[in-house]
Formats: sequence, C-alpha cells, structure tokens
Amino acid sequence: MKFTSSRYLVKEGLKNIWNNRMMSLASIVVLVSCLIITGAAILISANLNNLISTLGDDNQINIYLDYKMSDIDAIKLGSEIKKLPNVDECVFYSKDEGIKEFKDKIGNDIYQSMQGENNPLGHVYKVKLKDLSDYRSTIDEIGKLDGVVNVSDRAAIARALTKLNYFVAIAGFWIVLILGVVTLFIISNTIKMTMYSRRFEISIMKSVGATNTFVRIPFIIEAMTIGLIAGLLSAIVLICIYNPIKESAGSILAMIASSTIPLEDLWLRILVAFSCAGILIGALGGFISITKYLRKEGGEIIGW
Amino acid sequence: MIHLDNVSKVYPNGTEALKNVSLDIGQGEFVFVVGPSGAGKSTFLKLLIHEETATFGKIKVNGYNLVNIKQRKVPYLRRTMGIVFQDFRLIDKMNVYDNIAFAMRAIGAHERDIKKRVKFVIEMVGLNGKEKCRPNELSGGEQQRVSLARALVNNPELLIADEPTGNIDPKMSFDIMKKLVEINKRGTTIIVVTHEHELVKQFGGRVIIIEGGEIKLDKKLPTKYHPSDEPEDTVEDSEEAEV
Repeated sequence: MKFTSSRYLVKEGLKNIWNNRMMSLASIVVLVSCLIITGAAILISANLNNLISTLGDDNQINIYLDYKMSDIDAIKLGSEIKKLPNVDECVFYSKDEGIKEFKDKIGNDIYQSMQGENNPLGHVYKVKLKDLSDYRSTIDEIGKLDGVVNVSDRAAIARALTKLNYFVAIAGFWIVLILGVVTLFIISNTIKMTMYSRRFEISIMKSVGATNTFVRIPFIIEAMTIGLIAGLLSAIVLICIYNPIKESAGSILAMIASSTIPLEDLWLRILVAFSCAGILIGALGGFISITKYLRKEGGEIIGW
Repeated sequence: MIHLDNVSKVYPNGTEALKNVSLDIGQGEFVFVVGPSGAGKSTFLKLLIHEETATFGKIKVNGYNLVNIKQRKVPYLRRTMGIVFQDFRLIDKMNVYDNIAFAMRAIGAHERDIKKRVKFVIEMVGLNGKEKCRPNELSGGEQQRVSLARALVNNPELLIADEPTGNIDPKMSFDIMKKLVEINKRGTTIIVVTHEHELVKQFGGRVIIIEGGEIKLDKKLPTKYHPSDEPEDTVEDSEEAEV
C-alpha cells in the first residue's frame, strides 16, 4: 500500500472515532473497566507468585517450646537441635524477651503480673537450615523432640498461598476469557455502528473498485485506536492504584509489604502489555465485524 | 467489450429476472437499455458490475470473464467502469471536490494525481467554481453532473448510467444526455438505462428493449440530436405545463 493511501486511511480511521464520539467513549469506558479487572487479576497472581517464592527462599523456622519448660531444659533441647545435621544456626529467644514485646499492648500492670512462672509464653529457638530440600524432614524431626510444642512451618503458608494462587490463576483465566469476549463484542459492535453509519460510503467505495482491504483498514484503525486508548487509560489507573493498595494490604500483613513486586519494576510492563492488549483486541474486534459486513451486505451497489 | 451468451438469472425466491439473454456491446458504443419496471434492467446492470452472478450463461466485461472471476479481482473489474446513479449518491458532508476525489482515494490514487484529474473532470462536466459547494447547495442537474464526474474520474472504459435523468427536470436531463454523448465521443462506451422514451427518440443510437427478462428489441435508431440543439422541452415549457 502506498504511503499516501496509508496516510488517508489512518486519517479516515481517526475521523471515524470523532464522528462516533459517544459510541467510542462508551466503548472506551467499558473496555477500561474490563481491562482493569483483568489486569488486577493478573497483578494479584503475579504478587502471590512472588510472595510464594519469597517464602520458599526464607529458610528460618521458629521452634516454640512448652511454656512450663525450665531454662536448663530449654538449653539442653537447644543443643539437641544444634546437633541435627541440617541445622545451620540456632538462636535462643527467651520467653522473657517474648513477653517484653507485648508490654506496650498489654500494659505495664499485666506485664508485671506475667513475669517468672506466670509468663504464659514458652521459649523459642530461631533456626536456619542448611539445605532447603530437606526442609520437610528436618521440621518433622524437630517436631518429635520432647518439649517442642509447635514449629512455625512456613511451607504450610506457602502451600496455602499456592492454593490461593492456583485459585486466582483459574479465576483470572476465566475473567480474562469472559472479559476478553465481552470486550471483543463491545468493540465489534462499535465498529458495526460506524459501519452502519458509513454503509453508503462503503457502497460507493465498492462501486468505484475499492478492495476489501482498503475498505477495512479505516475501521480496523478506529478499533485499534479505541483499544489503545482504553489500554493506556486502564494501565494508568492500575499504576495509580497499585501502591495505595499495596500499602493498605501491607498494613494488614507485614509479609505482604515486604514481598510485593515494586511498582518501579512493573509500570513499564503494565503500560506496554495493556497497550498491546488493547490494540490486539481492537484489531480483532474490528476485523471480525467489518469482514462479516463485507461478506454479507457490503457488496450491494445498484441494489443499495 | 461486453459479451453475454445465453445469460439467465434466477433469484433464490424463484424470480427469473433474465432469460437467455445474448448480446454484444462493442468499444465506443452508446446504448440505451429501455424497459418497464421489473423488466430485468437492474439485474442486467448488476450482472455487468458483478454485484450478482449469472445462474446460467457466460458474461465477459472489459476482458474479465465474470463466470469464474475471483472475488479479489472484482474491484479491478469495477475500476474499468464508472456508474452514475438515479439518486446521485453523493456524500452530503463532502464538498463537490471531495465527492469526486473520493472515488480516486478509494483506489489508493496519489494526491497529486487526484488534484490534476479532479480539476479536469470538473471542467469536463462544467462545474467550475462549484468545487467547494456541498451537494445540498446544488440543483438536481448539478448533483447529477457531480455524480457523472465521480464516475469519470478514474477514466473508465465503460460508463453505466442507471436512470441518470430520473430525478431531474427535462432541461437538466437534456444537458446530462449531451454530456454523455460528449464523453462517448472521447471513446468511452456508454450504457444508459432509462424509461424516458422521449430522450431515447431524440438521441437515438442503439436501443435494447428488455421486457419480462428477455430482449424484445435490439435496434439502431437514427439520432435527431445535433450538438448545438437545445432541449425540446425547456424549463419554461415544463413550468407552463405544470401551471
């Protein structure tokens, strides 16, 4: 196609958007909503993945001892833990230190009443492992030792998050699929409206020998531009709300705050991905409706 | 140029619009196709521009065999012809220049060529000074001349005029017919579909009468027209007649 024709076709496509501005605006709004929901699902899934991998990398476990256990017994148990082949580091964290952490929350009076034998907390060992692949067996071994009440098993959290991520991925897939079809439907309807308002011009174009490709291009450009605008807008919205949502989620669970993907690593990817998705959906929606029209009614000239 | 051999057209609802039509129209001919409504004239035109396909028979137009023409070749067939419609089919939001240029832009012509060619055809149909006018600012005859200019702008070998005088007064009709004769003299083959017998009698030439989907008459009539002639029925006459 010649350069002058391309310029003309692009101009026509952009003119269509302005001529059907209300319909174009409506399509952009609906497309933005669909893309934001889709994008949110993808971002949640990506962050969960990141969180899971962070948990997997973190090899520290907490071993909670019976609160009745004396200091000497706890130290003996500590040396047994240190003997385990997969234990790299084992730090004692006394129950006095533990209750001290709650001092502000429970108030001085209660804190004072919970000293010595009245302390309801047990001693804790913070253990780092040498080999994460033996994580499960080491945890089981520690759990069997006398006086060990509980072992903080981050693998359990990782498993729960993996399940959640699986759910988000499945839900995300269906959201993408359903909203993809909805957006395609919306964009192809917009193009259908434009085509309907320009069917007279199309019939004249066909009568003078315009090829189907030539007739198609302005409509596809219109649809792609609508898709691009919607993609850019939804990307901007997501970029703007990402940090506030991250901060509020982080205030609920500290683990989230430290494991979410920073916006600096994401914004460009979001912008590019959403723009491409918008353009692609637009191109496909536009192509489907104009091809259908040209095949069915678009050939009428004398009988128009 | 145009060759129809035993062509029949039966629509899906069973209507037999054309029955065993055979004819040849040569390069540079001026042909009137006449017949009452529903005679098959429109079907004949639709077959020529490949808007419809023949049920039986062979059709050849401007070197294209329309029996087995590929869909992607149809636009190129149509570039060899120009069509003038009874209702002008001008785009209201475009001015005269753009309405004509539209036909060239639609086939991807270069803007420099468009400028030259549009200027030429505007002069040819006598619309100088009206380039910036919108269709609703023009008389019926002028609108038909714009339609004629648009049909001519791609320099077609064949010009098809479907009831070109159907929506305009007799003087304007005469002007349009004069223009068509002039264009024909430059070598363009012209097919005029009409039911205005007076014009046919006045301009003469080859007349094909279609009735009930069949060719009833295919004859060359003598012309009473001379380039310096004025219409037999002037605007004043028609106004008097109306009074």
